[in-house]
Amino acid sequence: MKLVIDSDRCKGCNLCMLVCPYRIFKEGKDQNERGIIIPELDRPERCPNCRLQRLYGRTVCGLCQMICPDQAIRWDDEKENEPQKVVIEF
Amino acid sequence: MQGNTACAEGALAAGCRFFAGYPITPSTEVAEHMAVKLPKTKGVFIQMEDEIASIAAVIGASWTGARAMTATSGPGFSLMMENIGYAAMTETPCVIVNIQRGGPSTGQPTLGAQGDMLQCRFGSHGDYSIIALSPASVQEMFELTVKAFNLSERYRVPTFLMGDEIIGHMRERLTIPDSVEVIGRKKLDPGTMPFKAGGDDIPGFPVFGEGYGVHVTGLTHDERGYPATTNPKAHEKLVMRLVRKVESARKEIADYRVTSPDAEQVFVSYGAPTRTVHQVLHDRPKEEIGHLQLRVVWPFPEFALSEFPEAKSFLVPEMNLGQMAREMERHTDVPVIPIPKLGGELHTPDELVRALEGSR
Amino acid sequence: MSFRDWYRIDRLPTIYCVGCGNGTVINCTLHAVDTLGWKWEETVFVSGIGCSSRAPGYIKTDSLHTTHGRALAFATGIKLARPDLHVVVFTGDGDLAAIGGNHFIHSCRRNVDMTVICMNNWIYGMTGGQGSPTTPRGAITTTTPYGSGEGVFDLSALAVVAGANHVARWTSYHVKELTRAIQTGLETPGFSLIEVLTQCPTAYGRRNKLRDVAETVEYLKDHAILLQKYNRLVQEGKPVPEDMFTVGEFIRRNRPAMGVPP
Ligand SMILES: Cc1ncc(C[n+]2csc(CCOP(=O)(O)OP(=O)(O)O)c2C)c(N)n1
Ligand code: SF4
Ligand code: SF4
Ligand code: SF4
Repeated sequence: MKLVIDSDRCKGCNLCMLVCPYRIFKEGKDQNERGIIIPELDRPERCPNCRLQRLYGRTVCGLCQMICPDQAIRWDDEKENEPQKVVIEF
Repeated sequence: MQGNTACAEGALAAGCRFFAGYPITPSTEVAEHMAVKLPKTKGVFIQMEDEIASIAAVIGASWTGARAMTATSGPGFSLMMENIGYAAMTETPCVIVNIQRGGPSTGQPTLGAQGDMLQCRFGSHGDYSIIALSPASVQEMFELTVKAFNLSERYRVPTFLMGDEIIGHMRERLTIPDSVEVIGRKKLDPGTMPFKAGGDDIPGFPVFGEGYGVHVTGLTHDERGYPATTNPKAHEKLVMRLVRKVESARKEIADYRVTSPDAEQVFVSYGAPTRTVHQVLHDRPKEEIGHLQLRVVWPFPEFALSEFPEAKSFLVPEMNLGQMAREMERHTDVPVIPIPKLGGELHTPDELVRALEGSR
Repeated sequence: MSFRDWYRIDRLPTIYCVGCGNGTVINCTLHAVDTLGWKWEETVFVSGIGCSSRAPGYIKTDSLHTTHGRALAFATGIKLARPDLHVVVFTGDGDLAAIGGNHFIHSCRRNVDMTVICMNNWIYGMTGGQGSPTTPRGAITTTTPYGSGEGVFDLSALAVVAGANHVARWTSYHVKELTRAIQTGLETPGFSLIEVLTQCPTAYGRRNKLRDVAETVEYLKDHAILLQKYNRLVQEGKPVPEDMFTVGEFIRRNRPAMGVPP
């Protein structure tokens, strides 16, 4: 599964940056059409929830989603044939 | 039986299953009787921490579909005002009994008055409408309490039983019928927006816990029930409907008694002074004296005044400085003569006769 | 179901300011409710007036957004009339402790079966930043322009002495702990208060050198001391830094309660 930030909901508070143990959220640079700077994702495929939520049948970690005050973080299914990089970090 | 007890009995007969209140003279007997009776009928009685909480709990209970009531007097009534406006805005059926005592402030706790007649109509901020009834006997305490519930449920509007200390503490014979007519609230059709009304301006009621998923707010809301606070059209539409649903039903809601419609002198009364008028009529059987007794006071049934085509004066005995007389003046060209009485005692027949003769 | 399914999607995004902690608290509450498998048809959210009290408007259950300070009294009516419904209240520090203070202590005393989630942001957010009963001494608000000189209510301590069956305090940083505490509150028969210290960057932070949202949340994290640790320090006679506040579960007990379903 794929981590995404809903750009219609995100208000750019950067709280997700604060909690992610993998530092997946990075301060964004560009304003979107609503004038909001949305965090950028740094190799989101590292997020354990992307890889493991199907397997475990529950949200794994999920801190960013819980703290996001604007319900902007979710995991989408990949499109068919979308290449998925799996990076294991030690 | 005492008037206050009759009121409680009326509530029980009308299917009241929830009472929240705070003790205050001269209304306390209503609560005390409910405290005895309700637990025996699987109902809920609770003494809250104040009158604000009492009316709040009543409104909360009403959203679960329960017929709910509170009873109070002067100071407690003043405390309830904000939440009464909330009930009007959210169209919550509830019955508020006010056994009136002398005011302002703590005033005369143990004596009667009718000083809250305008407060019950206009006491909360903003424009809205309500229904108010005024009993003049122990029997009417029973009957009009039943009626208050039915009107409140039907029109989804806070409804007031505006009694007073005299009727509340009076002991008279009460006949309780085997059964009374009970009108329930119309339910919301699933799939309909919760605050969308049909031709009668009364939306169906979405009972909590039945899967409607309704949002109820005292903010200006649209037909979905969602806040629309900065939308002038939505506000106007809502408030106009809240007023219209009651005012346009004035004829159906009206309840009054007419005596001697051809009379030139007509007493208009509600509540306790009605009894003095009866005495005067009884004492002077040979004279043609008209009498209009209002059992529903708000919405004011102005058409009732035209039941007296020959009227040359309307004499209005009230235990206040002429609150309803002022309303009558708006509706008729016939002179309206207030007969105010303060101090906690009822008008004497002599006082009314003097006013009657003075008006000839 | 996921906690996200409890939202009224058509109402999002919320009216809350950027970085307002209220959204986080709603997430945690809905997560707790969802984990317990509660049905939305049988759950009612009630609130008073304030930013925090706007929460029920974003949740798809039946919800009653009432008058300022009175939510607990309305909720008492609902719960006593229909004990089978789950009743959860959202409130703010002003709503619960100032105008609603009397209803607060009496609801604790009655121990009415409901869970109350107080978003304590030390300020009146909705009206633009006036002092509240929890505004820290010295803090700048629009009505304490020279620093607040009044004492502060400890809401959790108040609930404990007033008789609530379950009381816990966390912050908007501690999402996991908070969710668990709310879940315990929901499961405990009787009155449960979950006090959540939460950031109001707009009305509080801006005036009190906590403008940056992340910094404020870090502040909450750094100044929270676990109750057990605090007690240990006190026991050992060691100093406790002054501006710390305790978090954790203050009480869980089984006093007789009202409105518990049969
Ligand atoms: C009777 C009454 N008095 C005052 C207000 C104005 N008012 C609205 S919200 C609010 C304060 C809210 O503060 P708090 O409860 O702390 O909630 P927050 O907005 O911080 O979440 C006040 C005073 C009101 N709505 N009703
Ligand atoms: S779920 Fe956890 S690891 Fe994954 S992005 Fe969110 S905070 Fe980071
Ligand atoms: S926490 Fe949510 S709203 Fe805030 S920046 Fe991250 S995604 Fe956006
Ligand atoms: S004013 Fe404060 S409490 Fe209100 S929405 Fe903004 S940040 Fe949140």
